[in-house]
Amino acid sequence: MSPSKGLTNPAREIKNTAMKLFLFTSTWVASTALLSFGPRLWWNYETSTTVLVVAVNLLAGGLMLLAFFRHLKSMDELQRQTHLEAMALTLGVTMIFTVIYGSLPKVQLLTESNPTNILFVIGITYILTVMGLWISRTSE
Amino acid sequence: MKNRLKVLRAEQNWTQADLACQLEVTRQTVNAIEKGKYDPSLPLAFKIAGVFQIPIEQIFSPEKEG
Repeated sequence: MSPSKGLTNPAREIKNTAMKLFLFTSTWVASTALLSFGPRLWWNYETSTTVLVVAVNLLAGGLMLLAFFRHLKSMDELQRQTHLEAMALTLGVTMIFTVIYGSLPKVQLLTESNPTNILFVIGITYILTVMGLWISRTSE
Repeated sequence: MKNRLKVLRAEQNWTQADLACQLEVTRQTVNAIEKGKYDPSLPLAFKIAGVFQIPIEQIFSPEKEG
């Protein structure tokens, strides 16, 4: 008997949820870009249009979060643990970075701090931690 | 925790992918358990015991006995 027959493939489910996560993240990024550049370039700061785009951005953000949780739930336990540990480490790194980065202008080591840079720290820390943990646990 | 997963799998002539499919986990997870880099949750450990149809203590044992 082949043990593979008639069984669900968890990889297919993960691929499905990852695709939805990619779509909602893309929508959120696009709506964020629209909110950043649209008022100045396309609708001359018209309030009703800006409020509409803010609502779309919040909705896209909510759907992205939902898609992320579904993606997390579709993972097997080793994948889920790896991602949760990466999130914990990312939270700690973000806290430390935010405090020091926010202090630098006050002590005159930087002229100004841009909060958007924190997003890069979050993204890079998370990706590198997931990769590092996954490689260390699954290397042949 | 030590385990005999690799030996038991070899006895059945299954690949890691075959076993992973039955357990509904990734092949990498089976590999990590076999190499002792990851201890499975209790539900997964019982599922492994169910697949091989032997008691869980015949598959997993503490690193230090006694």
